[in-house]
Amino acid sequence: MPLVIFVDDSETALASTRMVTNSMPIEVKQYTEAQVALAEIKAGMTPDLIITDLNMPVMNGLEFLQALRAHPSTSRTPCLMLTTETKVELKEQGKALGLTGWIVKPFNPAQLKQAITRVLRLPA
Amino acid sequence: MVLLNSMDELLSHIKEVQQDVIQLSSESLLMISNFIEKNGLEVDNDVATALQYQDIISQQLNATIEAINSVQSSMDRFSHSYQMDENLVVESMKKFQDKLSVVLCEAKDKKSRFSGKFANGDAQTDEIEFF
Repeated sequence: MPLVIFVDDSETALASTRMVTNSMPIEVKQYTEAQVALAEIKAGMTPDLIITDLNMPVMNGLEFLQALRAHPSTSRTPCLMLTTETKVELKEQGKALGLTGWIVKPFNPAQLKQAITRVLRLPA
Repeated sequence: MVLLNSMDELLSHIKEVQQDVIQLSSESLLMISNFIEKNGLEVDNDVATALQYQDIISQQLNATIEAINSVQSSMDRFSHSYQMDENLVVESMKKFQDKLSVVLCEAKDKKSRFSGKFANGDAQTDEIEFF
């Protein structure tokens, strides 16, 4: 099963995404700190899709994305930003770093499922 | 300076209340989501969306806590300058006022930025933006 990792400093946000993904044919790992997810990636974890929040302490979503792009195993891994932020400049920064898409919270569960299905090319 | 001390205490109290609200709402939501998961209940789109409001509430409150921290820090600097040299009070007051304006602008910007689909009261589309 494809591995999808979620990174969000809010445990309640992670709980919300779990409720959407638990019926999907994917393996899910969740992290409240981007630097911990990054350390696991550097240790050999190879996610098929990364969904991250933007505003997080220590390492924010764009810094995380930048670090992912600098690492050989995730330099081309699809990444979605799941955030309350709607600033165009931030979206542009994400786009320049090869972000796959931008989802504004609160997300529509059906839309999130569709996005994961589409990016991972899962059977609809 | 007694006035500033009282304001500082009041601001600290507001921060405490906000932190309690963040923690309680988070615990409450986690209990509900644990119940849903444990019992294998399926939630519809409306409930799943409603469960995400806590995240937005806590981001909004955290942004105001940051603003209060900035104000308290400026008050502290003003109070310190005033005690050191009363002649500096006009200049210090001006700096304090400027800082308050900056804090207010930043706080308003964060309110808008962290509102997600509720930004500026507009009902935004559910469409996910792919690049």
